[in-house]
Amino acid sequence: MSSKSVKDMSFEEAMETLETVVGQLDTGAVPLDESIKLYERGAALKAYCEAKLKSAEEKVAKITTDTDGNAVATEPVEIS
Amino acid sequence: MTTALISHSDCLDHVTPDGHPESVARLKAINATLADFDLLRIEAPLGKDAHILRAHPAAHIERIKTAGIGALDPDTHMSAGSLNAAYRGVGAITTAVDMVIQGQAHNAFCAIRPPGHHAELKTPMGFCLFGNIAIGAKHALEAHGLSRVAIMDFDVHHGNGTQNLVWDDARIFFASTHQMPLYPGSGAAHERGAHDNVLNVPLDPDTGGAEFRAAMEAQILPAIDAFQPELILISAGFDAHRADPLANLNWVEEDFVWATNALCDLADKHCAGRVVSTLEGGYNLDALAASCALHVNTLMERGK
Repeated sequence: MSSKSVKDMSFEEAMETLETVVGQLDTGAVPLDESIKLYERGAALKAYCEAKLKSAEEKVAKITTDTDGNAVATEPVEIS
Repeated sequence: MTTALISHSDCLDHVTPDGHPESVARLKAINATLADFDLLRIEAPLGKDAHILRAHPAAHIERIKTAGIGALDPDTHMSAGSLNAAYRGVGAITTAVDMVIQGQAHNAFCAIRPPGHHAELKTPMGFCLFGNIAIGAKHALEAHGLSRVAIMDFDVHHGNGTQNLVWDDARIFFASTHQMPLYPGSGAAHERGAHDNVLNVPLDPDTGGAEFRAAMEAQILPAIDAFQPELILISAGFDAHRADPLANLNWVEEDFVWATNALCDLADKHCAGRVVSTLEGGYNLDALAASCALHVNTLMERGK
């Protein structure tokens, strides 16, 4: 598992690392004594990815069009 | 009648490396907190291979006997005294079952280590060498002719070993609450046993006693009630306590009291109060001692 600090990761790196962490927790491939640290790293990664998504959501604008398909305005979109 | 406390000083000679959470200090803390309790104190005999063979193959016993000093995996260590400690654990649980079934005690608590509920058929793991509680259940069935034994495991980690050892045995009903995700990764609700004899209720991290009690009332207690056990065994881990360093559940001492009473209620209903509890995890010494003391105190109250 990458020991890189979560805050230094790109979204893609964080997601990939989170998937690895979840996989390790699911398969029990980590010692009991380390399991809690791995879970806490997973929780930090999840929070980081959620924050990144929220930030992206606020930046994305939906383009609205008129009946001819021409862009007329932008407005924020909700990403669920 | 009375509550039996079954233990042995050999269990203090299972020495784990410095900093290991499953430490000698755990049992010392429990011994100190139970020192003034009015219990029927019994020295655990060494368990017999015949007891262990009901749960594990001979090759597993041989592996543990010949392992020597060292690490069996990153969690699980053997010191010079570990083998004897493990055999005292087997002797404790089988003696406790004998005493409760034969009416020498109303209920019993085994203060033993190493713990047992992670030890699988052929695999020592998660601080565990032999599957103590499964060995106890099979002893009740084979040596005393019981037909149905229920095991409740409220340790914060899933009792994968117990599940593995009783999976095919319709005479044993195994129920477990545990944090998920967490070590060992097993214990999903869809794991039901070969005879629908396993009930796993995973709990989300950062949940507390309310969620645990709700799960018990909705699923586990009715299932044990329907099973009509002739003996109830408890894998008593105290690491779901909010102070425990190895997990993220937020139980308090009163939650362990509540669970103990709920299980004793079922034992009163179905099997004249027969309950045998054995120590599994719990790694914050203060929380472990306080929770364990109240658990044993509750057994004593129920055994009067």
